Amino acid sequence: MYRYDEFDARLVHERAEQFRGQVARRLAGELTEDEFKPLRLMNGLYLQLHSYMLRIAIPYGTLNARQLRKLAFIARKFDRGYGHFTTRQNLQLHWARLPDVPDMLLELAEVEMHCLQTSGNCVRNITADPFAGAAADEIEDPRILSEILRQWSTLHPEFSFLPRKFKIAVSGSSADRAAIMVHDIGIEILRNARGEIGYRVFVGGGLGRTPFIGHEIGSFVPKSDILAFLEAVMRVYNESGRRDNIHKARIKILVHQIGIEEMRRRVENEFAEIKKTGVLQLPQTEMTRIAAYFAPPNFATLSPANADFEAAKRDNRDFANWVKTNIHAHKIPGYAIATISLKAIGETPGDCSSDEMDGIADIMDAFGQAEIRVTHEQNLVLPHMREADLFALWQRLAALNLATANYGLVTDIIACPGLDYCDLANARSIPIATAIAKRFADLERQHDLGELKIKISGCINACGHHHVGHIGILGVDRKGVENYQILLGGSGAEDASLGEILGPGFDREGIVDAVENVIDTYKNLRSDSERFLDTYRRVGAQPFKERLYAR
Amino acid sequence: MPQVLTANRLVVGEVVYWNGARGWVPRLQDAEVLADSEAESTLARAAEWVQKREVVAPYLFDVRLEHGVVMPVKVREAIRAAGPTVRLDLGKQSV
Amino acid sequence: MLVKAGRIAEDSFTPVADGEELPDAPVIVSLKRFLAEHDSILARRQPLGVRLESGESPQELQPYLSELAVVVLHIPAFRDGRAFSAARLLRTRLGYGNEIRLTGHFLLDQIAFYTRVGVDAFDVAPNISVADIQTALHEISDVYQPSVDGRVTIRDLRTRRTTVPPS
Repeated sequence: MYRYDEFDARLVHERAEQFRGQVARRLAGELTEDEFKPLRLMNGLYLQLHSYMLRIAIPYGTLNARQLRKLAFIARKFDRGYGHFTTRQNLQLHWARLPDVPDMLLELAEVEMHCLQTSGNCVRNITADPFAGAAADEIEDPRILSEILRQWSTLHPEFSFLPRKFKIAVSGSSADRAAIMVHDIGIEILRNARGEIGYRVFVGGGLGRTPFIGHEIGSFVPKSDILAFLEAVMRVYNESGRRDNIHKARIKILVHQIGIEEMRRRVENEFAEIKKTGVLQLPQTEMTRIAAYFAPPNFATLSPANADFEAAKRDNRDFANWVKTNIHAHKIPGYAIATISLKAIGETPGDCSSDEMDGIADIMDAFGQAEIRVTHEQNLVLPHMREADLFALWQRLAALNLATANYGLVTDIIACPGLDYCDLANARSIPIATAIAKRFADLERQHDLGELKIKISGCINACGHHHVGHIGILGVDRKGVENYQILLGGSGAEDASLGEILGPGFDREGIVDAVENVIDTYKNLRSDSERFLDTYRRVGAQPFKERLYAR
Repeated sequence: MPQVLTANRLVVGEVVYWNGARGWVPRLQDAEVLADSEAESTLARAAEWVQKREVVAPYLFDVRLEHGVVMPVKVREAIRAAGPTVRLDLGKQSV
Repeated sequence: MLVKAGRIAEDSFTPVADGEELPDAPVIVSLKRFLAEHDSILARRQPLGVRLESGESPQELQPYLSELAVVVLHIPAFRDGRAFSAARLLRTRLGYGNEIRLTGHFLLDQIAFYTRVGVDAFDVAPNISVADIQTALHEISDVYQPSVDGRVTIRDLRTRRTTVPPS
């Protein structure tokens, strides 16, 4: 993974000290809250429902054990002993105190971490496929480009006060495990007919009040041109994005209003101008230099079939179940990609205690795992496990209650913090998630249902990604009472689609039954082992509407 | 509709409520319930406390009185007064 | 208070509202007025400044830039970041070399960014000192991105470095 050199390190240390100065000015009254707010936001510090919330950047979701232990330490010392992994691969601490934050930033700087640009109208955390470097279908590790973009976008002098936030995601293959189609800029790494690697760039995707799937704006941008191309997009957006209405300020609105053809024309004009100067050309030497940080670990030559592993599955039903869902094939024989579910039945999705973080860090050391990944679905991934070690891994995870065998299943629910924590929320999301998880806890039933992604947001800002849930749930405020709308048929993968609202919402008592009715309808209609999403796409909303609303 | 004035403490971020005599208090039950006629002027005077760097983001919210107990009309304020409903060991409810 | 090149500067320009008579002195006029009256204004042979509002494009000044002593960028609210692109455009493609002055609502903490993209004069609130500005400009030593100021980037520094980076 990327390691800071003296320049990166100095920047995050200076940034921490800069914020210390800003906090001091705030507390001394030299800055009003209006003046301080953008400064604290650009260091990821929000004022939430109960307290300050600090959002820590985890670039493209990658952490090492030392960093994980530091997060555990910071959560214990300065917060309430836990953190929440988000749908942008970041970590949130919900109980920060303003005067502690500069010290927290300094602790983070010690392990090459920061909170830069995790909020504010600037380029946010660059997210990428959590299976990077391990997936067999990968063209190139998306984190190489992600790191280059991280540096390019950090404290960018021209683009730190955009009309609104800007989110970029990178996928390393045609399979989209980073939800690139619903980002302001989504980048797919691919090969052209000549076998050269380049980038397919999408613009104007996004969720929230007005969801959109991104449009292709560059079918094959060569590597050397990517920074110039992205600057062109950013400049057009900075100049022309709406600033009169916060709800119409994202780039997706600009693309929608002027059309993708006009957007492409403007971007290409600007791109041509930038190219003339040659200033943003990305040399191959730089790509190679950054790529070296993401060189794969020394993989051993292992046999693809491991007798002990097979025996363990035969002898231990629980282990076999865990393997079935939480293990994915690795590109190297004898290795496996292991998902640690943070969706224990009845627990807050994505939450992880300091003890759990320390326990996971110990596990990483025990199995020689240099890295762990945070996914945009609020789970963790150990990308390079040896198959031979999986049983021992599972046992250790089970001892920590981290072996829930539900990746991708109905209880692997994505939920934003919602009204339990968030100042913007209209309804609670976490108790809905836990209630649904409890209803469907039976593992056999879960396996029978297969892949079923439920995503819950507590307000229209859609941090729970409800628009791209197979079943999406949106919490709203209906005359002061929490109410939940169901959307069906969304997908955040390469077959991206936006969920369709089924009908009137349900209250807290009714929503879990409603979800169960939706799922029962699927079961009655599915052919063979069709996923929920595929059945919905085949039969449409009508049967579900009838089941839920016909009287 | 009776209202209560609330804000967050600048330094620790804690939710507090306005009680004319006692200043900013942590418990909703100790808050001053404001009649329509006085709510807006009380909010305006909160600017002074913002200026003094005691609190940030003051605002009014609706309450009703049930047998003398101050009940927020909206779920949001009930949660804000108590703590996360999914972690009863955190927030004001745990004290 | 006008700050230029790290010190307080004399402001010899008078901003004049649309419709008001122009004094016989250096003035700053709105873009709208300048475009409507440019012949007569330029004929005055006094140093001249034109003020751009957010959203007005510097492109419109392109034919006249060599005649302008000052381009004023007015910031209506610090969140409005269009002037960063406007300053950059003036300095690069439009080749403007005289003063770019920032006025209106901007933060001390934005001055470093504005300086990088080519703003060289700041109309600051009275509570901001030259020392404050110097501190703000030097809080972050190195920069990742190339910009108008031509500053050496971290990538350049890395290339120059002869020792092996820490691993």
